[in-house]
Amino acid sequence: MLNRRRLLQSMATGAGAALGLPLIPQSLLAATTSSTPTTSDTTPKRVIFFMQNQGFDPATCVPKGMKNSGSLAGVELPEPISPLEPYKERLHIINGLHGKHTSPSHSAFFGALGGYRGGDGVPPSGATIDYELSKALPQTLLPHLCIGMDSIENMTTKPTLATLSASGAGQPIFMYSDPNQLYQMLYGSISSGDIRLQHEARSNVFDQIEKLAAAKGQTLPSGEQQRYGQYVRGFQDINGLRDRLSTVSGHLRKFAPEVDERYTKPEHETDWHDVLLDLGISALTSGITNTLTIGSGRGEIFGAWKGLGIDQQGHNLGHMKQPDNPIWIKIRQYNSRMLVRIMQALESVPEGSGTMMDNTLIVYTSNNADSQHTSGANWPVMLLGNLDGAFKTGCFTQLDGKRPINALYTSILRTAGVSCDRFNMSDKLAKQFDQGNGPLKEVLA
Amino acid sequence: MSKGGYVAAAVAIWCGLLSAANGETYTPGKKVSKSFRGFVKPFLTNNCVDCHSGSDPEGNFSLEDLGPVDEVNADAWNRIWSQVTLKQMPPQDADQPEVVARLQFSDWIVAELSRVLADKGGFRAHLDPGKGNFVDHSLLFGPLPEEIKLQPTSSPARIWRLTPQEHITRLNELINTEPEYDPKRPGLRTHGDSVPTNHGGELKLYFGTDRIIRWQGGTVAYATAVKSVPAVLSSARNHGLKNYPDFYTVNSAEATQIADVAEDLIRYMAYGPLSIAEPYQITDDPNSIRDKMKGDLRGLPTSLVYSTKVVRPLTPVYDLMNEEGVTKEKIRAAVDYLFEAMTFRPPSQTELDAYVEIVQQSIAKIGKEDGVMLGLSSIFLDRDALFRPELVEYGQPDQYGRVMLQDWELGLAVNHALSYIKPDEQLRQAIVDGRMRTREDVKREVERMLADDSIRKPRVLQFFREYFDYDLGGYICKDNRALAETGAGGRDHYRSMFDATASTDRLIELILKEDKDVLKRLLTTDQVVATDRDNLYFGRKNTREEIAAAIALDRKKEAEREAELKAWKEAHPDEKPPASLTKKKDKVNHQITEAHLTGEKIFARVSRRSFGSGSMKSDRILATVPEGERLGILTHPSWLVSHSDAMDNHAIRRGRWVRERLLGGGIPDVPITVDAMLPDEPDHTLRERMRVTRETYCWTCHQKMDPLGLPFEMYNHGGIFRTTELNKPVDTTGEIIDSGDPQLDGEVANAIEMIEKIASSERAQQVFVRHAFRFWMGRNETLNDAPVLQDAYRAYKESGGSMKALLTSLLTSDAFLYRTRSGQTLANAN
Repeated sequence: MLNRRRLLQSMATGAGAALGLPLIPQSLLAATTSSTPTTSDTTPKRVIFFMQNQGFDPATCVPKGMKNSGSLAGVELPEPISPLEPYKERLHIINGLHGKHTSPSHSAFFGALGGYRGGDGVPPSGATIDYELSKALPQTLLPHLCIGMDSIENMTTKPTLATLSASGAGQPIFMYSDPNQLYQMLYGSISSGDIRLQHEARSNVFDQIEKLAAAKGQTLPSGEQQRYGQYVRGFQDINGLRDRLSTVSGHLRKFAPEVDERYTKPEHETDWHDVLLDLGISALTSGITNTLTIGSGRGEIFGAWKGLGIDQQGHNLGHMKQPDNPIWIKIRQYNSRMLVRIMQALESVPEGSGTMMDNTLIVYTSNNADSQHTSGANWPVMLLGNLDGAFKTGCFTQLDGKRPINALYTSILRTAGVSCDRFNMSDKLAKQFDQGNGPLKEVLA
Repeated sequence: MSKGGYVAAAVAIWCGLLSAANGETYTPGKKVSKSFRGFVKPFLTNNCVDCHSGSDPEGNFSLEDLGPVDEVNADAWNRIWSQVTLKQMPPQDADQPEVVARLQFSDWIVAELSRVLADKGGFRAHLDPGKGNFVDHSLLFGPLPEEIKLQPTSSPARIWRLTPQEHITRLNELINTEPEYDPKRPGLRTHGDSVPTNHGGELKLYFGTDRIIRWQGGTVAYATAVKSVPAVLSSARNHGLKNYPDFYTVNSAEATQIADVAEDLIRYMAYGPLSIAEPYQITDDPNSIRDKMKGDLRGLPTSLVYSTKVVRPLTPVYDLMNEEGVTKEKIRAAVDYLFEAMTFRPPSQTELDAYVEIVQQSIAKIGKEDGVMLGLSSIFLDRDALFRPELVEYGQPDQYGRVMLQDWELGLAVNHALSYIKPDEQLRQAIVDGRMRTREDVKREVERMLADDSIRKPRVLQFFREYFDYDLGGYICKDNRALAETGAGGRDHYRSMFDATASTDRLIELILKEDKDVLKRLLTTDQVVATDRDNLYFGRKNTREEIAAAIALDRKKEAEREAELKAWKEAHPDEKPPASLTKKKDKVNHQITEAHLTGEKIFARVSRRSFGSGSMKSDRILATVPEGERLGILTHPSWLVSHSDAMDNHAIRRGRWVRERLLGGGIPDVPITVDAMLPDEPDHTLRERMRVTRETYCWTCHQKMDPLGLPFEMYNHGGIFRTTELNKPVDTTGEIIDSGDPQLDGEVANAIEMIEKIASSERAQQVFVRHAFRFWMGRNETLNDAPVLQDAYRAYKESGGSMKALLTSLLTSDAFLYRTRSGQTLANAN
């Protein structure tokens, strides 16, 4: 049977032949599969979702006095996002989307990126926008990478967690929080000699495990097959990814970050946050992935930023007002500096006639809408970059609260080449929650 | 009988007659062949629409235009399902639908929601343990209307993923030798007990800490240097029952980690501490390697010294690596051993051949040393090493399509009901000899295991943890200031809470040991297993006046000391004053009048040394609580703090616990439109701030919880007894309403009165049996399980409240013994 992994392996042979050529990230594209969109556009594009938990108060991003849509050119950005000041011609602040149907109080969890009702412990009821985009964008080896930032205790004891992204109903995607594990996954194939043999032996063992696991699933009752199927698919994912990455190890070496003490002996959780971001950025710049989801606070109501000098942590951070709050200014500025690092890194890699950043969109928002306890009537978002000219930039857009976050996701999907009028929202549901249709015209160029 | 009671009885009789007259039988679990138009719509019209219609519908919830279930109105139908199933609607003073009609209506909604949401993540609310009480208690334990025809019960064929704790305990068996059971010191952790969480509440597997005889640096340095691995499998639930079979799978990130951990373990099995330390670090004379231990090694693995005594189990994996070269026989022996250690059963010939081949291939590629480690690690990812199968692939179905578990599946099911480690020799032999095939076989083994204290039963203790939820206190992240105000502040609080969990574990074990009136004793015992620090937690919060007086007294004493010192210095110039005059008095916690807990010395089970000299200590005393201030586990800080939040008590959660776990009531999910939040008013008591739940819309549900949780306001959120709150006498009143037992209903003055009232009730005992059923069957009960529940309750009652009798009854029931392989099993359908 020629499954997806075998298909990719066979294509990777072709990629190997191309390795003699100057390597540009496009060589990592895994060409088309049956799941690719209806577009013929093969320009590499990438989308990054940065989800800060505990809510995104509009007063911490909308410039003072700005009530109506307009240019950001003549205004000063609020202190919490001041690191973005030099980049504001790329910035688009959107106020007035809603997520009332997602139940975002104490986090909408999967619903934040899914545009549907979520809740603590509630399985995803459909694929989330990041996963859908990873399928729709020109394909990369690891279509979708999720990283999660939390207190060091949580990241250590639960290095993988799924709260934000999903590949389908009841199919959560785990985010990585231990940078050591993530490094191994992404760059284990940068090896030769004995290590290479080890790598091959390991590949063989995992292939055999996959076969044994699959064989033992065949006699399960139908109800159990789906759950056990996730276990078997896990091996398929592991094996498939390893095969794909191993075909381009030489290329990866140029982008892999140096491992330092922050990986093994983090002083604060922010050390791990920083190196997780490095790894995420390297996955983008090396072209391994086209979609990166960053869960700062990991989609829940906890999180800690002691490295920023913030002693309070966890749930309490959501109980305080954000505007003019020194704690939240520090967190938001830290986020903003991370956004700047992403932009700078992508700018440094040439792509087409410009840089990677030209073909990138960063979506910064919260899995909690505007605050920890919220009805979701307002869901502020910041966009950075224009995804190959598709989005307006350098401006503030005030919407009237009548269109859901799904409309923004629809807009991004459209620019990725998927023809869709509403993302994860049926016409029936839209009657209640969406007074428009199709993409958000206000944000598209 | 009250007027309401007569009306209800009359309605019930009338319904019964009507239904019997219709001649329609109802079999739980069978598909309801009813249509929206022909049955559901008229049901709504007759029972609901009168109030839920018009311009101002009740609860702002209109049913006038509600159509058949679809994805848009699914939330509304979910709400209707909860309200009607729980008999919250129609309201008590309205005409009630007949019993069978209500059941059919409820079944229809579940079936339709399941169908409509099948590709949207599914509808699983009815399968959640938190909804177990949605099955009418009076139908489970009382007489059934004639038209309800039950079917012999069974559970679905399934695979059951290990819990993180089961998995870690299984792995621990490979590398650590735990002490044998010592009847003279029964509280100490012993072979077969679960690997407990450490001083910080983490579940970790430690490598060879029993051989560490010296280390450099303090406790933190030790903890950093020592080799350990955290639990890999995830668990998403905190409160209530945590491990139904269908909750979890193993994701790819976990599988990768399991493989990595497996290699570490196999290496340790082969080489012991040499796999993690330099050879010179293994010596019985640490002084002899002083030259190697120079400099600051704190926190490094090289800061440890291991004794030369081999204490880990020496297994065929050791034999394989201890010899030069490699033979197929040795590989087979290692595979055979590891497979049984991980799956608890011997491998089939096919399985054995497959894993031997993997090991041989790995050796061929990278040599013996690494090839064995890598090849054997594959066994850790075998399906049956992570999921326990109950698939009944070989038995013959009876006339109801049920197949009885047998041989290894039955033996391992019985073993798993009590134990986390592999079957003991007697059970294993019974399985091998074909003596695990009948109900009598199960009874024999269950009774034998229950009677033998040396066979540890961590799963029984786990049931009590999940039933009571007393093990969460250390994980409740407290606001520092708010915690300090309780009198329990300080960095030791979290540690004290993990200690308190171990103490409550032990108290439960002591009550189980006596095995009389188990539930009642747990709820009303005056005993406490305590550490020194519990004198604070079982103390009393001082009033503002008492605190002021204590501070004033302290100041006065300090002033006197200083005056005395001054006088002494004047009298003895140029001399050094005695320490008794220079030493300032130790800091006293003025917030609390400590208890004086005393009693015999006992032990509690704590983790392996995890934190050097700062590791948890097993020493405890068995003491008596301060009279009139505490009664049973619900008044112990372990339970109280587990049911609190960062800033205050969690009266709603406490009330919900009482409602669900003692009274058997159900609480619907919070409606989508509710922004549930109490006002942030630091100058108001929790009771005052909870006024918002009294709005009509909220009160329908909150009246079932809040008045049951507020009596616990006699304790602050540090779990400490108090008489005042915000400098006024604390209000501890509450009320039991709609308990299902009119004898219980009524006002209560405080938690102690409420607990005394409920603890002896038949209803609480029956609800306890229902929870035990869920835990051991791994699913919610259905009406078809009524005979099983009644038998179990009878066994418990007639034995004078014996947990052993209850367990024997449950584990020999059809629900435990039989599986149904059809996709649509009885249990799922219901």
